[in-house]
Amino acid sequence: MKPLLSKTTKPFIIYVLIILVISIPVYYFVVDAIWKHELDEHNEIVAEKTSSQINSLKLSDEKLLETIRLWNKIQPTTNIRNLEKNDDFRDRIFILEKPHSFLDFEEIDRFRCLSKVIYLNKKPYRFNIETNIEESQETIFFISATTVFLFILMVGGLLMLNRRLSKSVWKPFRETLDKLKTFNLNNQTKIEFDKTDVSEFEELNQSLSKLIEHNISVYKTQKEFTENASHELQTPLAILKNKLDILLQNEDLTEKQYQIAEEMNRALSRSSRINKNLLLLAKIENNQFDNSEINLDELLNQSMEILQEHFEQKNINVHSEISPKVKVTGNIALTEILINNLILNAIRHTPADGSIKIKLTPSVFEVSNSGNQKLNPDLLFKRFSRFSKDNNGSGLGLAIVKEICKSQNWNINYKFEKNYHIFSIII
Amino acid sequence: MKILIVEDETELAKSIAEYLSEENYLCEFAFTFYEAMYKIETFQYDCIILDIMLPDGNGLKILEELKSQNKQDGVIIVSAKNALDDRIKGLQLGADDYLTKPFHLSELMARIYSIIRRKQFNNSNIINQNELQIDLLAKTVSVNNEIIALTKKEFDLLIYFIGNKNKVISKSTLAEHLSGDFADMLDNHDFVYAHVKNLKKKLTDAGCDQYLKTVYGTGYKWVST
Repeated sequence: MKPLLSKTTKPFIIYVLIILVISIPVYYFVVDAIWKHELDEHNEIVAEKTSSQINSLKLSDEKLLETIRLWNKIQPTTNIRNLEKNDDFRDRIFILEKPHSFLDFEEIDRFRCLSKVIYLNKKPYRFNIETNIEESQETIFFISATTVFLFILMVGGLLMLNRRLSKSVWKPFRETLDKLKTFNLNNQTKIEFDKTDVSEFEELNQSLSKLIEHNISVYKTQKEFTENASHELQTPLAILKNKLDILLQNEDLTEKQYQIAEEMNRALSRSSRINKNLLLLAKIENNQFDNSEINLDELLNQSMEILQEHFEQKNINVHSEISPKVKVTGNIALTEILINNLILNAIRHTPADGSIKIKLTPSVFEVSNSGNQKLNPDLLFKRFSRFSKDNNGSGLGLAIVKEICKSQNWNINYKFEKNYHIFSIII
Repeated sequence: MKILIVEDETELAKSIAEYLSEENYLCEFAFTFYEAMYKIETFQYDCIILDIMLPDGNGLKILEELKSQNKQDGVIIVSAKNALDDRIKGLQLGADDYLTKPFHLSELMARIYSIIRRKQFNNSNIINQNELQIDLLAKTVSVNNEIIALTKKEFDLLIYFIGNKNKVISKSTLAEHLSGDFADMLDNHDFVYAHVKNLKKKLTDAGCDQYLKTVYGTGYKWVST
């Protein structure tokens, strides 16, 4: 994960880099074209000026030849020649690269040349002029150097500005984020966001406030609904149960009818259990339980004693290691439910003659039972997700365990090791 | 025995009355808070079955009123709420028992039976049935004056049966009674069978008549006149 700013900075820098790289040839062509244009103009002027001034001297033909000879000697960059026989009288502009004729060191120079026909004493001559022009590589070098310098300046500035801006510009956003992190739907306390002068953030805060408000109200309604629905269900369930009890007393009842009534009885018990468990879950989520200091080892020993007959009945080998005087903070009723649910869950899912291990240390409470196959830990603690074929459970046992752990700030984990399902709670 | 059923659900009240009426219990109804207030002030009952969630008032107020008048009626609170503080508050106010809806009528009847016995025989609470004698305070059982050793669960079952004389009680009902909340988390209810079998054996071995009958294969009935 990277902060947002570095995400925008990088493409910016790349964009600047690309533009600057492209700018080097563009600058070169522009500068070169200006050069050439200026020099062509210069050459033209020189040619015109030369011809017009020589003509204005009104020299005789002989004197003219003398002057031309002299001219060619003292004007190194220009010369005037007679036309070749096959001359086409056209002007020519071209670039010439050659070693410098006067300096000692060997250096190639670039020249812009004009070859033009001029008329002296009404006779055509070819006038050649060459003007020194900056070499391409030198131009490119200077442009590149300037560009690199500007690039460094730009990137440095951009990074510094970003760092400064990010601190101030993103401050309201960070504050919003910090407040959101502390938000807990269970507490149902609204978040008050600070005012900001950035319209986007203000909009964000307002939307978040609305969203949170809506969520809280939906959550509240839903929880109230669960609680109310469960309560409302108790009475019809009670009526059904009692009518069945009365039905069983009927002297004309056949054995088959009795069995049907008994099946209904069991189904009814299950639905009232589911109902009670849903209520319990709603209450845990509503934080309706107070915590106090409890002796976990005592509670555990008590539960084991009560459940002893169920171990024996399935011929389950129980191995327990319970440290004495394990004190924890929690709700005693909930902790009892947690212990019973975990152990009963183990009893239910251990095959006959299997084994169960129960371990309690001052930091961990662990219940493991023998089994064949790892269970999906993502679904294990979900409400109504069943793994076994038997349908007797409420499908809420482990969900309740998880909720109780959550409400008491304990951590529950599941793993499958050496053919044992291990549920461990960090207390 | 006079029982007052304070319950706004008519069907529920009727079922309770029907179940209880066969065993010499005389039931009266109060369907509203005010009706209940009137009846407790005017009459005396052996036991009051009190739903604390009444549409026109809180049943706990009735309990308070009862105690302020120093009445000795036994009270069983019946509530759709399983809230611990309600339970504690109810018992602190002087209720004798607290039952959460939905419950089995046999469970209610067993509790009514023991409350009435407790109220009537404060010092020596002994049940006599021919050769069988049960001391509810000492929690001992003897047949022909010979004490027999019962486990806590077996004793509990025996009292349950005695409190539901001549009633058919199904195995699942007994399972719920014996293991409370986690009966339905268990795969089978065979543990009930084991306890009943042991109880039966101990009683017959001591020379007690076979009062406990198996009916319809998996149900039980304590038969006595």
